[in-house]
Amino acid sequence: MTITKRQKNDVVIFDVDGEIKRSDITDITLHDLVKSALEEGRRFILLNFEKVGFIDSFGVGEILASYISTHNLGGKLKLARISKKLFLIFQVTMLTKVLDIFEDEDAALQSFRD
Amino acid sequence: MAERRIPAKIAAALGVRAGEGATAVLFFLYFFLITAPFSIVKSVRDASYLDDIGVRHLPWAYATAALVAGAVAVHARLQARLERRRLLVGSLVFFAATALLFRALFALDWPGITLLYWLWANIFVVVLTTQFWFLVNDRFDPREAKRLVGFLGSGGILGGIAGGLLTGFLAEPGRPENLLFAAAALLAVGAAALTALFRRLENASPGVPLRPAAAPAAAGFVDSYRTVRGDPYLRALAGLVILAGIVSTFIDWQSKAIIDTVPSAKVNLAAFFGQFNAGLLLLTFVFQLVLTSRFLGRFGLRRALMVYPLALLLCSGGVAAWPLLGWALAVKGADKAFSYSIHQSSRELLYIPVPADRKYRAKIFIDMFLNRFSKTIGAGLLLFLFLLPGGHNIRVVSAASAVFLVLWLALNVRIGRAYGRAVNDRLGEKWEPGEGLLTELADPDTAKTILDALESRRRSPSLYALHLYEMAREGRLTPDILRFLDEENAALGPAASHPLLDEAGPVWIPGPETEIVSAGAEIREILALPQYQNLMNDYASRVLRDGVGDETARMELAKAVGLMDPRSPLAARVDDLLTDASPEVVHIAVASAGKLRRRESVPLLLAKLSDPRVRADAAEALIGYGAAVAGTLGDGLLDPAESPDARRRMAAILSETPGQDAVDALLDALAEGNADIDRDVIDALDRLRARDPELRFAPEIVRAAAGRELARLSASRTRADGWWLFKLLGLLDRHEEFVRAGQNFAGGTEREAAYALELVDHVLPLEWKEKVLPVLERLARAEKGR
Repeated sequence: MTITKRQKNDVVIFDVDGEIKRSDITDITLHDLVKSALEEGRRFILLNFEKVGFIDSFGVGEILASYISTHNLGGKLKLARISKKLFLIFQVTMLTKVLDIFEDEDAALQSFRD
Repeated sequence: MAERRIPAKIAAALGVRAGEGATAVLFFLYFFLITAPFSIVKSVRDASYLDDIGVRHLPWAYATAALVAGAVAVHARLQARLERRRLLVGSLVFFAATALLFRALFALDWPGITLLYWLWANIFVVVLTTQFWFLVNDRFDPREAKRLVGFLGSGGILGGIAGGLLTGFLAEPGRPENLLFAAAALLAVGAAALTALFRRLENASPGVPLRPAAAPAAAGFVDSYRTVRGDPYLRALAGLVILAGIVSTFIDWQSKAIIDTVPSAKVNLAAFFGQFNAGLLLLTFVFQLVLTSRFLGRFGLRRALMVYPLALLLCSGGVAAWPLLGWALAVKGADKAFSYSIHQSSRELLYIPVPADRKYRAKIFIDMFLNRFSKTIGAGLLLFLFLLPGGHNIRVVSAASAVFLVLWLALNVRIGRAYGRAVNDRLGEKWEPGEGLLTELADPDTAKTILDALESRRRSPSLYALHLYEMAREGRLTPDILRFLDEENAALGPAASHPLLDEAGPVWIPGPETEIVSAGAEIREILALPQYQNLMNDYASRVLRDGVGDETARMELAKAVGLMDPRSPLAARVDDLLTDASPEVVHIAVASAGKLRRRESVPLLLAKLSDPRVRADAAEALIGYGAAVAGTLGDGLLDPAESPDARRRMAAILSETPGQDAVDALLDALAEGNADIDRDVIDALDRLRARDPELRFAPEIVRAAAGRELARLSASRTRADGWWLFKLLGLLDRHEEFVRAGQNFAGGTEREAAYALELVDHVLPLEWKEKVLPVLERLARAEKGR
């Protein structure tokens, strides 16, 4: 898995590429990267899962931990382009009530301004 | 270069910051050009009344204040219809024109013109002064207002001085009305200055109306009255105005009654009043410019409210004891000096936390009507006193003043407390803690379990079945989830690919998920059988010994042990699995250890807090142990051999562990003062405090931490960094207020941050305020300047 960081206006975008599973991670996890951005003073975070082929419960834990860390500092974290399966799991466990999930990046970026 | 327009040192002394100079100067000028003509108008008013009608009939003049209500009602309607600029500039032009009209009417010597002029003069000062403060309320937040009110208010006082001196210079004995030409000219200049100010304000915020969006569509007089009546805070402000007006009326009569007996003053009363007012106002000007904002900044609004009534109480006592010109001038001087400076400024600051839609309605009733009508009430009380034997005696009037002054002081105590509540009410909760939000609204654990179950389906039917059984046992295999699993299974393709089927065999178990739900009781019984335990324990030995290469078998075993009784021999196998090389095995083993909650597993779970692959799972498992591990976690927090990340997680685990033990463990870590983990420890203490207000937080440790946080903030440039200081303050007292203030300061708009600072200013003891406020204000300025 690789994670690249870019910025559009005041939104930090993390593009995740590959599979998010606990057996494959390095020392720096997605949550660590999100926390670094928060420490730099960033408060708008977008996680782009367009190129994520697989995600296990560890990956979901990273997403939720990132959401909590961002929210507790008054920021906003949103998700874009998650798989249909993951979206259904989020739906059946009511996580769609809490997480902002978008089908495309532009809609997600627009929502930060709303 | 940031615009200043005032030399830097003078600006600093006046509380004017870079970028504010031109605006502040224009506000100053605007107020100057209201009070300068009013000083002239007032001198003409007093002189003509005393000349034509006499001091004994003054109360009738005071009583005309009741008629101001009519003008207030008209103004209220205009205010709702006209945009701010047109109303305010138009008002100045209107009063300039009517000043000239009265000059003409005085020349005609019509009867009653003096009384009509008195009424007009009252309306003049009420309308124009209130309009000035409307604009101040529109433009400045509470911190800016507190800082600048001294300078802005001094414009009004200087105007009074200038007007008084001009009156003294220009007044002709017996022809005071000629001064109205000068008043009209000053008002015309004021209209021009105000136009320039509006242009500047509109350029600073283009498209933003200079009237709050919530301004009432129709704010009639009755509507204004109802607004005040329905709000305890506004009723208290109204009470303050009434008492101040009554006392001021009594004092005005006392001083004029004494002055009227002094022959040298009676020769040219207009000149006398002009020079007296000018001299008095010079004192007021110095006080306002130099002391008001400083007093407010250092001692706060509550103490500032007490200055005026206490001074009057002292001077009234002097008048009662020695009714001489000196004391008359002293009491009148104290009245005007403090009324126009610290009292006016404090009173205006009291409005700032009131929401806009109520504020402007309330000001119409209180400032425009009640401010004058209170003189009518005072007049009525005076007339009542005069009916009593000896009522005309100055000592009697002084005693009556004293009674109202004591009531006034008591009301100020109530208002001071209510102001703090009003500021607090402006600090809305910006966000709830994220942990609670997730668990209240959703089921994050089940989301992870579903993914684990789906993944296990690829590896082994047994592992999948174990996942299903566990979910069923915990009541998480809901119809929606069953349906989802069915659809996922269907998506896999033909029945032969179903995970619980023998690949080579025919379909014979339709809907295994529901079957497992219905077989739950039987499965539980089997798991508890001693024979089953012995058999599976042997199997476990073989897997752990022989199955080193078979990750799936170890995963199945790790899952199974989590379903056992914690005292069973099979449950003890979890410790072997916690040290497995495979993160997938450890992931399941950690979850099982969390269910079993065996003491022996604790050190192994703690060790996993450093493994990024399973640290979140280990933290969750340890939370399940509750207060039993608080001591162990506390030791870990203080252990320098532990990584900062592991120690942060220990702090987070303790925050989910209710009880004083967890608090004490965290406070021990806080006392040590480790920059790597301090903020996580503060977060944890804050969460514990939020859940249980009865917990005790050693104040000396918290204060020391606050001191370190203040030092840390000296290198910061963002408001967000101030969040942890607010959390620490909240551990000492007023937790909910400081948390909301912290959210508004760290994550709110500039105005919300200002309200947060105002709350800090209002509630912190002086010694803390002097340390904390400068740091937080510097952060707010640094962020504004970026």
